[in-house]
Amino acid sequence: MTELTGHCHCGAIRVELTTALTAGELPLRACQCGFCRRHGGLTTSDPKGRLHIEAAPGSANRYRFGLGITDFLLCAQCGVYVAAVMPHEAGLLAVLNVKGVDLPGFEGRAPDPMIYDDETSDERVSRRAGRWMPAVFVETSPSA
Amino acid sequence: MSGDAFTWHAGGCHCGGVRFEVALPATVEAQSCNCSMCAKTGFVHVIVPESRFRITKGAERLAEYTFNTRVAKHLFCAECGIKGFYRPRSNPDGWSVNARCLDSVEEIDLRIEAFDGQNWEANGASLAHLSREPA
Repeated sequence: MTELTGHCHCGAIRVELTTALTAGELPLRACQCGFCRRHGGLTTSDPKGRLHIEAAPGSANRYRFGLGITDFLLCAQCGVYVAAVMPHEAGLLAVLNVKGVDLPGFEGRAPDPMIYDDETSDERVSRRAGRWMPAVFVETSPSA
Repeated sequence: MSGDAFTWHAGGCHCGGVRFEVALPATVEAQSCNCSMCAKTGFVHVIVPESRFRITKGAERLAEYTFNTRVAKHLFCAECGIKGFYRPRSNPDGWSVNARCLDSVEEIDLRIEAFDGQNWEANGASLAHLSREPA
């Protein structure tokens, strides 16, 4: 297993992706929705891997839109879109914004354009259950 | 000269809270920067003088982030995080608008060039003319 790490610009939100795949084997997707286009987001996930997201106290804003079943995690301090998380019966599922955390190993790759506009809520949850990855999101305790 | 004709184009963040307008010529020179900040936000720079940009909604919803020299004022919508425009270090007298946040780029001939912001000290001055007001 390898651990790929990254963080938003100011460093308040940090991520660690644990995966048996190399960065070159991980998918790289360019969702074409208005949110991802404006953020320049390129995402990845490994359903057999695990994502650990750690945020300094009060540093993570949650933004919801569309079907309203997903929390898009944004750094309150620098504005960077870090990851999207969805509560699921199996636990929290996530997709990571490779660009937002400058995850190493993806440089120069052409992403796969994705369009999910016509999905129903059930279809979306089902797709993500197969593609997104188990995640843990923790807010660290304020330092004394 | 026809090249001096500007058309106002609207744009905004994702949640709709922040809106802006920018006056652009038919052919727009834009920069894709590789610095630590722009790489994380995917910002595509369209730099204009002060007179060719206006915030039309939601100035009070903007959060500001600064780092390093703190000259650049990085602005983003506090709700959806979108960075539609900001005051760049290279052009503190003007604005840099994010081409990704324009409502449409169909009527614009957008020519995106790579800008080496990782070596900002060597390259920043090359952008200064873009925010100069016409004499």
